Amino acid sequence: MAIKKILLFLMLFATIKVQAQKTQAQVDSAKNDSLMLLKVQEQMQQSQPAPAQPAHTGASANPDISVIGDFRGLYRSYGKHNFDAVLNEAEFSFQSVIDPYARADFFYSVSEDPATGKFSGEVEEGYLTTLALPAHLQLKAGRFKQSLGRLNLVHPHALPFIDMPDVYVNFFGEEGLKGDGFSLSWLIPNPAFYQELTFEATDVDPSSPTFERSTANNYLYLAHMRNFWDLSANSTIEFGLTGLTGENILGMRTNLGALDFTYKWKPVQFNTYKQFTFQNEVYFSHAQQVNNSIVNALGFYSMLYTQVDKRTFLTGRFDYSNAPFDNSFIQQSGSLTLGWEATEFQKIEIEAKYTTMNQPMIQYNNEKNFASAYLRWIFVIGSHGAHRY
Amino acid sequence: MKIKIIGLLMATIISANYSFGATIHVVTTTMDTKSITEIIGGNKVDVFSIATGYQNPHFVDPKPSYIIKLSTADLYVTLGLDLEAGWSPSLLTASRNVKIQRGADAYVDASVGVALMQVPSSINRAEGDIHAFGNPHYWLDPANGKIIARNICNGLEKVSPENRGYFEANLKIFDEQIDAKMRAWSAEMAVFRGAKVIAYHNEWVYFETRFGLHIVDFMEPKPGIPPTPSQLVKIIKEVKENNIKVIITSPYFTASSSDVVSQQTGAKTLVMATSVGAFPSIKTYYDLFDYDLKLLTSGLR
Repeated sequence: MAIKKILLFLMLFATIKVQAQKTQAQVDSAKNDSLMLLKVQEQMQQSQPAPAQPAHTGASANPDISVIGDFRGLYRSYGKHNFDAVLNEAEFSFQSVIDPYARADFFYSVSEDPATGKFSGEVEEGYLTTLALPAHLQLKAGRFKQSLGRLNLVHPHALPFIDMPDVYVNFFGEEGLKGDGFSLSWLIPNPAFYQELTFEATDVDPSSPTFERSTANNYLYLAHMRNFWDLSANSTIEFGLTGLTGENILGMRTNLGALDFTYKWKPVQFNTYKQFTFQNEVYFSHAQQVNNSIVNALGFYSMLYTQVDKRTFLTGRFDYSNAPFDNSFIQQSGSLTLGWEATEFQKIEIEAKYTTMNQPMIQYNNEKNFASAYLRWIFVIGSHGAHRY
Repeated sequence: MKIKIIGLLMATIISANYSFGATIHVVTTTMDTKSITEIIGGNKVDVFSIATGYQNPHFVDPKPSYIIKLSTADLYVTLGLDLEAGWSPSLLTASRNVKIQRGADAYVDASVGVALMQVPSSINRAEGDIHAFGNPHYWLDPANGKIIARNICNGLEKVSPENRGYFEANLKIFDEQIDAKMRAWSAEMAVFRGAKVIAYHNEWVYFETRFGLHIVDFMEPKPGIPPTPSQLVKIIKEVKENNIKVIITSPYFTASSSDVVSQQTGAKTLVMATSVGAFPSIKTYYDLFDYDLKLLTSGLR
C-alpha cells in the first residue's frame, strides 16, 4: 500500500513538473479549440528564412555510384602455372537513402576465375537498413555480410592485406560469411561506452565450408555483441563476442563462437599521418558429424598494422587454423604487407607470405610448406561510402 | 502487482520526459558550430562537437562512441557541402535517431544561404580533392558566421519553439558582436590589404577574400596531394620573386615541407587556427579571428 502511495506521488510530482515546463503560449493553447491551429501559428512565426542558397551544381537524386577495381598479381612457389595476373574483382556500388525511413546499399561484384579467365557476377550485398525504428533498434533486410568478428563486414579492398586470414578461408571461404535474411541490432542505451547487440537469421552462401544452405528450414542464427571504449582521444579498444549456430555441410549442426579484440592508436591531430592497430580474432567450431561425434576446431589470426607516413602502410599477420571438420590438420602462416596509398582512391600493396601445414592438401599441390606473394592495385571511381571504424 | 508495474512505468516515462525535456542536446560536426550554438542556445543547450579544433574536418574517424551522442541528440548541426562526407553519413545512419536524419527538422545544414566560392563547373579528380558544391571552408569568413548562426537559430526554434524569443535575442547579440568585431578586424588588416602569402591547403579562400589577402600559391600541388619536391622548388621561386613573408598552414599538417621553404627563403611559417579549440586560448568563434589576425599581422610586419 505504501509503495502504491509512493508511486502515485511520483507520478503526480513528475506530471506537475512537466506542466511547469510548459510556456505561456502552451497554456493559452488550452483556451483555443484547436491545438493544431496553435502549432501552425507557432511554425509560421518561427524560423526566419536564411538568405537564398545559390544553386548547387551536381545536385542529383541519383544514388552514390562507384566502381572499384581490384587488379592482382600472384606468385606461388609450387605448380607449373605459378605466376598469374587477374582483374580479381570489379565492384559496383549503389548507395542512397530510400525515403525518411530507410536507406539501401547494393554491391554487385564481377570477378575473374584465374583458371579460365572467365568473369562471373553476383549481388555481393543488397540490403535495406531502417532509419526510424524506435528504442534504438535497426533492422537490415536482404543479402549481407554477417556481423561476424571484425573482418567479415569489411569489403576486401578496404583490408590492410591482400589475402584473407587462413581461419576465414578454412571456416567461411575466401569471401567470408554472407547470406540472405534479417539482421536486427539494438544500440544499448549505455552512456558509459558503446554497446551494440545484433541478432541475425539468414540462409547461407553455398560456398561456406562450415555451414550449408539448408534444404529444410534450418537457418543460420547469429548473435553478436560489440563493445567499444575510448581510452583517450587518441586510443580505443573494441571487444566483440559472436555466437553462430546452423546446419553444417554434413547436414548436422555446427555451433561456432568467436572473440575479437582490437586496440587502435590514432592521434587526432595527425590522424592522416600515423596510426597503429593491434587486431585479433579467435574462432572455436563445435561441429557435429554424421555419426554424432563432435569435432572441436580452432583458428585465429593476430595482426599489427601501422601507418609509417602519410602514404605508407605496413601490416604483419600471423595465422593459425584447423580445418572445421579436422582438428588434426594445422595450418600456420606469417605474412608481411607493404602498402602505398596515392590518394583515398588508389593504393598499391605487396604481400609476402609463408605457409606451413602438417598435412599436404591437394589445393596446394600437396605441398606442406610453400611461399606466396601478391600484388594488388585498388582503384576507385565515383562516390564510395565510408567504411566503419 | 500489475498496478505497481504500470505505475512504475508511467512514472519512469513521465520523469524521463521531464528530465530530457529541459536541455536541448545538440551534436555539431565541428567546434565552430559548437561555439555558435552555445552562444545562440545559451543555457538551454548542451553541445557536443565530434571533431576537435585541431583536427582536419575532412578526415574524422567515425568512432562508435560518437553514435551514443547522436542517438540521443535533439539537434544535429553539419557544415554540409560534403565537407564531412567521409564520416558523417555513416554515423547518422548508425545513430538510429530519425529526428536528426538529413531532411528532418532537427538536421541543420549550416551552409544554407552562404554565397559559395570556387564552385566547380565540372568534377575531375585529376585536379585533386575538388568539392562538388564549392569550397566548404566558409566559416573562416566571420560574415558567414552570421548566416551559420541564423541557420542554427532556426534549428533551435524548430525543436524548442517555446524558447524562440530567447534564441532570437542571443542571435541579435551575436550579430552585433560580429559587426563590431568585424570593424576592428578589418581595421587591423587594413594596412596589409593585398599582402601576398603562401598557404598549405586551399582552405583560406573565404578568409582571404574577407581580409584582403592574396594567396599566391599552395604547398600542396593539388588539393589533398602532399607537397612534392618540384612544387617546393616552384614555391621557393615564387616566395623570392614576390618577397613573400608568410606561409600559412594549419595545426593538422606536418611542418616539414613548410620548414624547407622557410629555411630557403626566410619566410615565416604561421600555424593558423582553422577552428575554435585549435589552440587552448581559442574558446569561442570570436577568439578564432582574434587569434588568427593577431598572428597574421605580426607575421606580415
